[in-house]
Amino acid sequence: MLTFDPAIGFSSAVLAVQSAESGLKDGFGTNAIQDFLVGVKPEYVPAWAVPLTAIGIAIGIVLAIVSVLAMFSTWLERKVSGHIQCRFGPMRVGWHGWLQPLADGVKLLLKEDMIPLGADRTLYVIAPALVLASLLGAMAAFPLTETFYFANFGLGIFMILALTSTTTIGVVMAGWSSNSKWSLYGAMREAAQVVAYEIPLGISLLVPIMVAGSFNLIEVSQGQGGGYGILNWNIWPWVNPFMLPAFVLFFVAILAETKRAPFDLPEAESELVAGFMTEYSGIRWSFFFMEEYAAMFLYCVVGSFFFFGGFESPVTSLAESVGGTNSLLHQLGAASTIVLKGFAGVFLMMWLRWTLPRVRIDQVMTMGYKYLTPLALVCVLGAGLWEAFIAPHLWWRS
Amino acid sequence: MTAVTHYFKNVVDSVKTTLIGLGITGKYLLQKPITVQYPDERLPIPNRYRGIHYLEQEKCIDCLACARACPIDCIEMDAVRHGKELEWISFTLDYQKCMFCELCVYPCPKDCIHMGTEFAFVSYDRSEFVHDLLSYRGMARDAKVRMVEAEKKKKAKEEAKKAKEGAQAAVVAEAADDEGEEASSEDA
Repeated sequence: MLTFDPAIGFSSAVLAVQSAESGLKDGFGTNAIQDFLVGVKPEYVPAWAVPLTAIGIAIGIVLAIVSVLAMFSTWLERKVSGHIQCRFGPMRVGWHGWLQPLADGVKLLLKEDMIPLGADRTLYVIAPALVLASLLGAMAAFPLTETFYFANFGLGIFMILALTSTTTIGVVMAGWSSNSKWSLYGAMREAAQVVAYEIPLGISLLVPIMVAGSFNLIEVSQGQGGGYGILNWNIWPWVNPFMLPAFVLFFVAILAETKRAPFDLPEAESELVAGFMTEYSGIRWSFFFMEEYAAMFLYCVVGSFFFFGGFESPVTSLAESVGGTNSLLHQLGAASTIVLKGFAGVFLMMWLRWTLPRVRIDQVMTMGYKYLTPLALVCVLGAGLWEAFIAPHLWWRS
Repeated sequence: MTAVTHYFKNVVDSVKTTLIGLGITGKYLLQKPITVQYPDERLPIPNRYRGIHYLEQEKCIDCLACARACPIDCIEMDAVRHGKELEWISFTLDYQKCMFCELCVYPCPKDCIHMGTEFAFVSYDRSEFVHDLLSYRGMARDAKVRMVEAEKKKKAKEEAKKAKEGAQAAVVAEAADDEGEEASSEDA
């Protein structure tokens, strides 16, 4: 199957640091696209064009995946919010409005692209691109199956956390360059919120990392496979009793990280018009929108890798037993499993959005610093003690 | 100690109340939507709803009682009398002025003007809000359909009757022809 050279990643500096620090899982020789291109290259094309074309194709694939996920998420959001309020949501464009995101996309492309007179033009234009680019970089580390991925690092989760938190810089840039009070308030809130919630997010992820003994998404997923099927998933208390509280902390933290309600203070529409994206319109605005939905999906996928078995599910095991290991059927089973688990998480986030009212900024800070961080530390301590003294004696953990 | 218990009570409370809230919104999520797809399906409108007027023009006698009752003079009518027959020229109602007070309905001696259930009318031009109430404008949709169907049936019946009569007439004519022929043969 297709395995791609990590060199087609999207931020060469990050990649260089990564490869120096952690060592790459696969060397630089497993680039299917590049191999294919070398095979079909005519004589007059220079050799240096091949890796560049391969990078372009890979970026295109990731961009396509991200846009399809974001489009489906916006449709899901509108349907879920509609039905929770006892209405239908979009119904006109296609069956139950499933083509609505496409119509919205056309509308956004045709809209006038406005830049305010007092704005810092350079930063204003770069900000949405930076936000989307850092998320695309993080998406490259999302393995769709055990052998289909764009970048597979020993420290895969670190790369995802690092690149997704980079979006904050873009948000702050957008807020500052818009030259609007609402935008600046939104950007400052975003910065404060991300600083507060990165800590419990990273710490709560340490619990499954300790259980799996790896930072690599695929290895964590493989660690949860085994003879007991669904009962092997990390979330169960017999694997580690601190896993469930760690998951709750993780979920609250990703709600804040992705600026979702009840922590949607950066864009709080009733107070700040639209927060940091008040001045944006058209396709630039849709970059922020796409980033939000793709980030939701990415974080939920990370959550399902670390707590809910990753690729492991009855469907995947069935596909593997029917088609054989790493057969096309097995790959399809694994990919659909992880995508479904991701969207289950996205659905839960939407459900929460329409359940809870927005909290105040001081409540957000209190929750982040006084509740999530200490509780996450307690979880890590407890899980570490469990792993050191109790887990070795459990027959189902050996 | 109280601070510590307060801290853990906060944690437990937040989890518990969130779960309760999720249960409530989840119940609504599974419930059938109460809205309808408006232009395709419509909710029933109460009988005494005051929408666009509906005039039964066969009953109307051009007495101007409704126009006189109207507090803002938005009804105008014009007809020519040929003995007992009325020939309608126009019966207009200006919906830019009308306040849907229903005062025009009560004085009618023939009970021929009513408030209907239709309410949606939009236009790019103000002049189009002066509606001609002839031709049953403002009649409820289903009533209009029923009326058109009844008229069709009536026409079909009449035509059938005519056809029957025509056939009978033809038979009579044939018989007359036969008699004539016989008479002519007798003559011969």
